[in-house]
Amino acid sequence: MSAPVGRGHPPLRRDGPQGRCETVNMAGFLPAFISHSGLSLAAAPESLGSAPLQLENPLLILVLCVVAGVGTVLLLPARRDVAFRKVGGSLVVAALLIFTALLARSKFSIGMGIYFWIFAAVALGGAVRVITHPRPVYAALYFVLTVFASAGLFVLLDAEFMAAALVLIYAGAILITYVFVIMLASEARSPEATASHVADYDTTSREPIVAATVGFALMGVLLFVIFDRGHELTVPPQITTDNTEINNTQGATQKLGVYLFQHQSVNLELAGLLLTVSMVGAIVIARKKVLVVELPHGRPPVTVAPATPIDDNPYSIPVFGTDNPRQKAYPET
Amino acid sequence: MALPTLQHYLAVGAIMFCVGIIGFMTRRNLIVMFLCTELMFQGVAINLIAFGAYHHNLAGQAFVIFVLVIAAAEASLALGLVVLLFRSKNTLDADAWRELRG
Repeated sequence: MSAPVGRGHPPLRRDGPQGRCETVNMAGFLPAFISHSGLSLAAAPESLGSAPLQLENPLLILVLCVVAGVGTVLLLPARRDVAFRKVGGSLVVAALLIFTALLARSKFSIGMGIYFWIFAAVALGGAVRVITHPRPVYAALYFVLTVFASAGLFVLLDAEFMAAALVLIYAGAILITYVFVIMLASEARSPEATASHVADYDTTSREPIVAATVGFALMGVLLFVIFDRGHELTVPPQITTDNTEINNTQGATQKLGVYLFQHQSVNLELAGLLLTVSMVGAIVIARKKVLVVELPHGRPPVTVAPATPIDDNPYSIPVFGTDNPRQKAYPET
Repeated sequence: MALPTLQHYLAVGAIMFCVGIIGFMTRRNLIVMFLCTELMFQGVAINLIAFGAYHHNLAGQAFVIFVLVIAAAEASLALGLVVLLFRSKNTLDADAWRELRG
């Protein structure tokens, strides 16, 4: 099945005429599509692989991470004034804005990527609110916002099916389960607590300074590597999947399906098996133990007549010499 | 406005992953802790999709499908465990299980 590498358009390219099929209609309005198809006319061969940007002073990333870390520590739920949280929030927003400006300045072109910036800002702002909002239901709803913004980023990356699947699975299934469990778990609250009551473990955070230091150190190192060594991400050669049938099918979703069932079929079956096993496991874990009521000690065991007795009341009066299986015999055996 | 390159998407994914790590370490509510793991999954998924688009193949999207499968399985098992823990201690505080530290 290993046909030679097709020299046709690779599966994610949209610049060929037959690549512009019905799934593109939605993406046709998006500037990413314009950039994707327009970039083949321009000097850069592809949008994602075009000249990697360099920051003049990568140390600035680390400074920004420190600022954002201080802001996050102030923003994390704790028994503080609202003013501190406002200061922390403005610090985080300022760090994000400066970082954006740095990125935007280093490589200038006409406003094609405005959708990327909007989606990225919404996703990251939602993510910060997920970890800083004291009430779990609102955290879950902010996570839904993050999921929608990530789906927008996926659409910009020509992964329309994954965007739809993300919204369906995350926002539709997983988050509903989370909200259900949140409601289920906060139901046993004391009755005098008002609706605006927030539990104690939600208003305080555990080791915020240490966690923010570790997290933002990791973030700084990651961003430093991405932007400092990014010039080694040269434009790859035309890597296509090694099958011509994939190129013959139309549409990104069809290509993904064909790719999955031709190259990843065993993994797909394993994924289904994993889902089944986890479903069984979840049922077994969350099952409530059924209590079997035992008769108190000392009373003789009551024998009732076989074959679904109506009279299974242990206090009813046994009948002497009966043949009716629905009645109790007098000398109780 | 700069045209987004691969590095922009990688930066978004990295920031989201680190925000998830910070949330997992700081929050004390068990449900919010598992929400933060979902945030980390999101960051990784953005990275995978960006690399897939960069290399012009479908392996990134196929990986994200499996990431979604793992996330769904993890969510169901974790929420089952959370319900179980809530039943036994009647609180969602992760510090209520301090004796598990050993």
